[in-house]
Amino acid sequence: MYKTVLGAVLIVGITSSLTAQQTRADSIAKARADSIALVRELERMSRDTSRAQAPTGTQQGPTNPRLLPDFSAVGDFVGDLSPNGSTQENLCRFCVREVELAVQAAVDPFFRGDVFLGISDLEKISIEQAFLTTTSLPYGLEVRLGRQLLPMGKINVTHRHDLHTVEYPWIVQKFLGADGMKGTGVYVSKILAPFGFYQELIVTANDRIGEAPEDLVTEEAHNKELGGLAYHARFRNYLDISESSNFELSASALTGKTEQPVDVTTAGLPAGITAVNARQSLIGGDLTFRWRPLEQGLYKSLILQAEFMRQFNERLTSPGFLGPGRDFNGAYTFARWQLTQRLYLGGRYDWVQDPELNGETFTAGSGYLEWFPSEFSKLMVGYERTMPTGLDAVNRVLLQASFALGPHKPHPF
Amino acid sequence: MSYLKLAFAALALAGPARAQLKVVTSTTDLADIANQVGGAKVRVSHVSEGYQDPHFAEAKPSFILKMRDADVFAFVGLDLEIGWMPLLVQGARNPKIQMGGSGYLDVSQVISVLDRPSGNVDRSQGDVHPLGNPHYWLDPENGRRIGRLFKKRFSDLDPKNEDYYETNEKAFEAKLNNAERDWQSELRSLKGQPVVAYHTSWKYLAEYTGLNIVGFMEPKPGVPPSPSHLAGLILQMKRTSAKAIIMEPFYNRKDADFVSSKTGAKVVIMPPSVGGLRGKNIDHYIDLMKYDIDLLSNSLK
Repeated sequence: MYKTVLGAVLIVGITSSLTAQQTRADSIAKARADSIALVRELERMSRDTSRAQAPTGTQQGPTNPRLLPDFSAVGDFVGDLSPNGSTQENLCRFCVREVELAVQAAVDPFFRGDVFLGISDLEKISIEQAFLTTTSLPYGLEVRLGRQLLPMGKINVTHRHDLHTVEYPWIVQKFLGADGMKGTGVYVSKILAPFGFYQELIVTANDRIGEAPEDLVTEEAHNKELGGLAYHARFRNYLDISESSNFELSASALTGKTEQPVDVTTAGLPAGITAVNARQSLIGGDLTFRWRPLEQGLYKSLILQAEFMRQFNERLTSPGFLGPGRDFNGAYTFARWQLTQRLYLGGRYDWVQDPELNGETFTAGSGYLEWFPSEFSKLMVGYERTMPTGLDAVNRVLLQASFALGPHKPHPF
Repeated sequence: MSYLKLAFAALALAGPARAQLKVVTSTTDLADIANQVGGAKVRVSHVSEGYQDPHFAEAKPSFILKMRDADVFAFVGLDLEIGWMPLLVQGARNPKIQMGGSGYLDVSQVISVLDRPSGNVDRSQGDVHPLGNPHYWLDPENGRRIGRLFKKRFSDLDPKNEDYYETNEKAFEAKLNNAERDWQSELRSLKGQPVVAYHTSWKYLAEYTGLNIVGFMEPKPGVPPSPSHLAGLILQMKRTSAKAIIMEPFYNRKDADFVSSKTGAKVVIMPPSVGGLRGKNIDHYIDLMKYDIDLLSNSLK
């Protein structure tokens, strides 16, 4: 603006000085030419982006002037129409399995914060996840502090309501917990690419393996010594095969001490003590293949996934030890094919040496039809046949409806 | 301690001079304009392809590798990339491209945005963009604004090459101005022509060309056509004599073909972005605009 005014003053000044020396007609022509030049200059300046931002852009003011965090909610409704009665934990035929409330935002220039609260009839209110993530560490490092879904295997980091099946695979349910395993502690991750493809090493130290069992009391806390904490690592390898297909091959390991039951009559432990601490470890490998042609990506896609885990259990020789007397293996394979823009067909086969049945084989086959009316709602119907060795097979008919409220969240990959 | 500082200073001085700026863009259109302005001083890559729906690109970890070293991440904004960009920006662990960083470049900041909703909005209106319509690159004036924005940001980050960026940006504008002069007769033929669009992505092109979009295949943004909506649309097209249904290559054309069979309108598959049709050599932003305008003009004759 200053330059414009100065230019105008100069032009007027120059024009005035010439007036004395030229004829009136000449001076009018000159003034007109100068005026046109001035207007063109103003037009040029108005086109200049750096000056045009404020009146024309979207950033006429912040879109979030009160710096509110993102609030969102997910409702997860489950129906169980199994022919021989409900197979849900609380035997409901229709239940709100969980409502998840999330609050997420940047905390300051150095951290972002994520809090997920789970509300359910069984667990009332619980802290599903609450963690602080660094945003400005050098060397591709990321550190998280707090509680989060533990990246033990591939599927455990997916929220249950985001699964392509109604429930977690049985190795997760049997080895990690019905609604997955969380870890509370420190998480450090580093991205590597020495071979030109994506690799990530994640190392965590957590207070314990899974949740504390309510009915097992030990003489000493499992984490009295630092060696009793749960230490975990995951190594991810992701590779694009083509622009449409890719795979991930990763490995995970976890070790820590956990409570195992004892026979109180023979264990010789003080009154009220019902368990001892014993080491439990898990190793696992997972492979995921994805195909999605970019041009028809709205309508076609395929996911193939397989995961294996082995649980190692310390067998204490102390009197009355009732913990697992062996190690257990488990695996699943899963496939999902996109039928239309909104409809998907999936199937899963599970095989687990069931710790609850002393390692007897538990197999299950299931199929799912998933329909997304939009990105924010999902309806699913599933059929599963579980076949535990030595017990009757169980047929399950499951329904799920879930919905998301609040800001658009990124699509999980 | 002072020795340590000296050692670090010596290392810093001994380090290589700054090479090219590494620029990652969300779309191919931004990538091409960044290349035009940055020339040999920048190395540009992009996330989504021109023949892919940019709303639904995937947050592949391989993109994180591109973004973790980027000096600039430029994106369309207005929530176009909301489905995947946050995972990549956070996953890249690169402070330069985090919000507030020197390389975080929301290109929509220099755009005069269309379709910005007024009043309350919610998802009953479909996959609505609360900040406005993000498909703004399909207006050459916005192409110029994007070019100037890149010039300014590249100059801020690499001031010693400011003149180079200025020269390139001016050359880009001159090429675009010349191209615009060349397609003026086609533009005149498009003015006022009634058409139907699949998605709201052609609003800026319509604003530029004077096309009259009389209806959309989608009843609401992001919602696939329903039979009742198509029935109403057919009536609307007959009433307004709409001659074409314009749509991107990544949408299923089955519904459009059905409407075409009932109305006689042509289904015109238009690339929405640079590289939007394989084998057509639409490698640059100006090529894209020219291709679309020529295609529309020929289709609506």
